[in-house]
Amino acid sequence: MVRLSPVMRDPRKKAGAKLIRLPKWLTSEHPFPWLFPASAMLIVFGLYPILYSLWLSMFKRNPATRIETFRPSWNWSKVFADDRVIDAVSVTLSYTFIALTIQLVLGLGIALLLDSDRKGFGLLRSLMILPLVVPPAVTGMMFLLMYDGSFGVISHMLYGLGWLSPTQPILANASTALWGVIIADVWQWTPFMVLIMLAGLRALPKDPFEAAAIDGATDFQAFFRLTLPMMSKIIALAVLIRGIDLFRIFDYIKVMTDSGPGTATETLTAYAGTIYFKNADFPYASTVALLTLIMILIISTIFIKIFKVRF
Amino acid sequence: MHDAKTKVFLRYFTSIIIVAIFVFPIAWWGLTSVKPISAVFDKDRIVVFDFEPTLENYRVTVFGYSKRSSAEDGKTLMGTSGNNSYDGRGSIVSSIIVAVGSTFLTTTIALLASYGISRMQFWGSQGYLNWILSQRFLPPIAIIVPLVFIFHDLGLRDSHTGLIIAHTLINIPLALLLLKSFMDDVPLDIDQAAMIDGATRFQCFWKVILPMIRGGLAATAVLCFIFSWTEFLLSLFLTNSIRTIPVKITTYVTSTGSEWGYISALGTSAVLPSFIFILLVQRHLVRGLTMGAIKD
Repeated sequence: MVRLSPVMRDPRKKAGAKLIRLPKWLTSEHPFPWLFPASAMLIVFGLYPILYSLWLSMFKRNPATRIETFRPSWNWSKVFADDRVIDAVSVTLSYTFIALTIQLVLGLGIALLLDSDRKGFGLLRSLMILPLVVPPAVTGMMFLLMYDGSFGVISHMLYGLGWLSPTQPILANASTALWGVIIADVWQWTPFMVLIMLAGLRALPKDPFEAAAIDGATDFQAFFRLTLPMMSKIIALAVLIRGIDLFRIFDYIKVMTDSGPGTATETLTAYAGTIYFKNADFPYASTVALLTLIMILIISTIFIKIFKVRF
Repeated sequence: MHDAKTKVFLRYFTSIIIVAIFVFPIAWWGLTSVKPISAVFDKDRIVVFDFEPTLENYRVTVFGYSKRSSAEDGKTLMGTSGNNSYDGRGSIVSSIIVAVGSTFLTTTIALLASYGISRMQFWGSQGYLNWILSQRFLPPIAIIVPLVFIFHDLGLRDSHTGLIIAHTLINIPLALLLLKSFMDDVPLDIDQAAMIDGATRFQCFWKVILPMIRGGLAATAVLCFIFSWTEFLLSLFLTNSIRTIPVKITTYVTSTGSEWGYISALGTSAVLPSFIFILLVQRHLVRGLTMGAIKD
């Protein structure tokens, strides 16, 4: 399409063969051909499925006959009355909040520690990146191995410290299972925070810190009065990206606990997956998944408005 | 003076301890993959280094020896039961096909679009960017149910092509925003100079801009590769017989027990290429992870 365009040809050879002149919006001078492949892809496989999902959520599925009838409000009134949804929302929110807080604090702390030009720190920063590229499903398995009740290395350490008894492995206990998953998430994604905070620290101007040091400010004061306020934009950005990824958590839950024990670690996405795989109630699965999407949109829009995050 | 030295020492000490904690799970995983089965499943104590390293687990998962003959070679009766579906070769090939294919497709599509956005002014360009960004934050679970139906109708279900398309879909927003940020770094004067000399937009893109963002393009491609390589949810829903490594590895966990030796061997093989790739593009990593928002 683009190759046929006469304007593509060397302008010095203007005279010559008569070529069909394409309309301007099909030549490379117009944004349309540039944006077409990406837009087509996102519309066909991104936007259309969401509308399809919405359409699907308006059907009531009869589990016995497997017949779906058009009842627009059925699933949506069901979703707000479903105790498992309410539980899933609270698990999702606590998971997101706890993991995000730990990752942010640890990330900032470790970044401050590793932000040094001394010999060896470059290597340490490189090593710190490694957890990021482990497939989350593999991370889940790594921690399953280390949590194993009879031969897991973390379990043995915790037994040794007396924090855990061999009769109650960390993932088999409803009160500790979520923490088990959070630890895996923190291990994998704290490096993300460290990297971003390091980039923020490196970009800080030197002058204010020198001035503060002359005025006799302690490191502690300099951190809270200068570093934190100057890094607020970057922190907001990191919190937004990580927060959304945490909210739509699926891999760790699926691999490590499969929402168990019981439904103790069932997040919204995990619940939608369960409805899909176990009950094959596709309309209701779509409804729960759409609810997740709507919550993400609302929370992130408010967050972007308040903290003025820009990409 | 003495005080400053103690401070430096303490900083090194804590830094090394913390980094060691983060590296430990990977090291333990790699160590497990070369342990004989008796050392992995020792219930009385934790075997750290006092075992005879073996490559049996890699022979079974990466080179496709049967699990039973592997156990008999080792003159052990441990691990002879169970099925023989621990051959990970098919999943490695699938993962490579899907990751390479989707990386190529994503970067091609995103390169074109990012040039359009970075260099041309058109009505609604900010809205377009916001739409792209919202795609990045879309939970895959929200589109997975219809996607399964659509793929089924198009005959893409359980095929490499289908998975390539799905991974391309989730990687486009990242690649597009990232490449746009690299293109924005190239001054507009360069385009204008080229166009005054008679170059068309496409020539300008192909001969001038593209060579200038090679580093950024490589970083984008690596990130796309890694995200496709590690993706789990879409692969889980959209395939049955074709299994990428992350999905395949979860099938090694069975109700009768998990074959940790094989799991860690396949897992280690899956992780190593990513390590090498990510260290190569470390310089652009922050920009990549924030989709171009932080220019490091």
